[in-house]
Amino acid sequence: MLKDITIGQYFPLNSVIHRLDPRVKLLYTFVFIIMIVVANNFVSMLFCVICALSVTLISKIPVKTVVKGLKPILFIIIITSLLQIIYVKTGVPLVSFWKIKITSGGLLEALFMTMRITFLIVMSTMLTYTTSPTSMTNGLDRTFAPLSRLGIDFNIITMIMTIALRFIPTLIDEVDKIISAQKSRGANFESGSIFKRAKMLIPLFVPLLFNATRRAYELAYAMTCRCYNGGKGKTTMNALKFRAGDWTASFLTVAFVAGVIFLNINFGEYNAQFTFNTAV
Amino acid sequence: MALLQTENLSYIYGEGTPFCVTALDKVNIEIEKGEIVAVIGHTGSGKSTLMQLLNGLLKSTAGRVLIDGEDIRSSKAKTLETRFRVGLCFQYPEYQLFENTVYEDIAFGPKNMGLSEEEVDKRVRVAAKYVGIPEYAFKTHPFDLSGGEKRRVAIAGVISMEPEILILDEPTSGLDPRGREQILELIKNYRDRTQKSVVVVSHSMNDVAKIASRVIVMYDSKVLMTGSVQEIFDQSEKLSEIGLSVPQITEVFAKLHAKGLPVSEKIYTTEQAFLEIKRVLKGGGVNA
Repeated sequence: MLKDITIGQYFPLNSVIHRLDPRVKLLYTFVFIIMIVVANNFVSMLFCVICALSVTLISKIPVKTVVKGLKPILFIIIITSLLQIIYVKTGVPLVSFWKIKITSGGLLEALFMTMRITFLIVMSTMLTYTTSPTSMTNGLDRTFAPLSRLGIDFNIITMIMTIALRFIPTLIDEVDKIISAQKSRGANFESGSIFKRAKMLIPLFVPLLFNATRRAYELAYAMTCRCYNGGKGKTTMNALKFRAGDWTASFLTVAFVAGVIFLNINFGEYNAQFTFNTAV
Repeated sequence: MALLQTENLSYIYGEGTPFCVTALDKVNIEIEKGEIVAVIGHTGSGKSTLMQLLNGLLKSTAGRVLIDGEDIRSSKAKTLETRFRVGLCFQYPEYQLFENTVYEDIAFGPKNMGLSEEEVDKRVRVAAKYVGIPEYAFKTHPFDLSGGEKRRVAIAGVISMEPEILILDEPTSGLDPRGREQILELIKNYRDRTQKSVVVVSHSMNDVAKIASRVIVMYDSKVLMTGSVQEIFDQSEKLSEIGLSVPQITEVFAKLHAKGLPVSEKIYTTEQAFLEIKRVLKGGGVNA
């Protein structure tokens, strides 16, 4: 159950996307997220979706894995869609029962939001799937390097982030182990009243927090022993360089931004009535 | 009929995915009442998986685990009952302590069994005695204890459920010689007084030789051999082939024997070594 968590996972393959400069990936993922929010009609949304799908295909990450990664947000998508269906009252009324009226506008709005959230997540997971934690940190480090002039030591922040990512699987293993151990002593995590189940979290979280703290101290000592002092003025073995692929990606991103803006203006703000009529 | 037995027990991690790994392959073992069984094998040979199957924590991919001839998975109640009858103490159990006092922590298992307060109290005291935790330490916070003491409190937490079979996964790993000695002593003690069965997973051949009445050797997800301490350690070549060894003292005596000294090769513990040297010094020959 806990093994299903794929957030922040890296999927080591050798594709064009994997080889891109992490700064490029970070920045352009951010650009994509902005554009998919800016997209205001079905045509430009479709354009975003096609672009996201192309990136997914080029990255060679199995579609199955990407779909699996969407599981945790299924709940959010369902809730959002339901709210749209219930509250949006534009368009042609389709079904009505009790106090709820379902209209074509509501359905289309729900579809629109689902597309937006789904592909926003798909692109963000693409970033973590194709970028190893080390190169991600490297990229973050370089991207925010100018901040050091403002007196903010970004080296430390990226180090904290790397360590946090690094320890997710370790902690998941640990939770599994503690659950097994407490189950062996007759603890019942699966049934009973809410109150009883909440109480069962104590035997889980106390050891978990204790061990996490212990690990943190051990790691801190180990880093101190190897002369870690905040990483100021640190150089890297694999210096980041802009390569041909990065230029191509930059060009494509500019084209993408232009495309979305063009489609936005050309087809106008999405209007449920209009879209529905043309669809029919 | 054995107290606990497995029938063609198999377990595959991540079945149906490209990452699937066979952890156990058609394992048949039996555990009788009152014996101390040592399970040895290399890292990744399936020992820990087997232990978790024995008390029903994991569900086997194929095959069954039988307690008193009944499948432990036959009903939910049976599985829960098995958890209490087969007490499993994980590796590094001290990291699973969570209560505010030593007493409360030892009482966690018996309380989950739904026992009366007097019964819980009685069991906590008995269990604490087995592991050598004095009653004045009952109110101590478990995190204030030393590593070896924490380990013993954690073991007491399983013993207090009075399982018919006590399973300990590498109970001595990471302890100093004195801590090891204490743990081994308490295992023996527990078996002798209660006549219950104990299963010990271990990497230390010295520990195995000291306490086991029977040894199960696991290799590559299968049971490679089972037998008495002597039967197993006589096959030192077979053991070294799969990356295991014989107790250090056995090696010493094998080398002495090879040098032509009139000592037996079949020495597995320091006590035996002591007696053997005494015998040889008195002027005896090899009588192996």
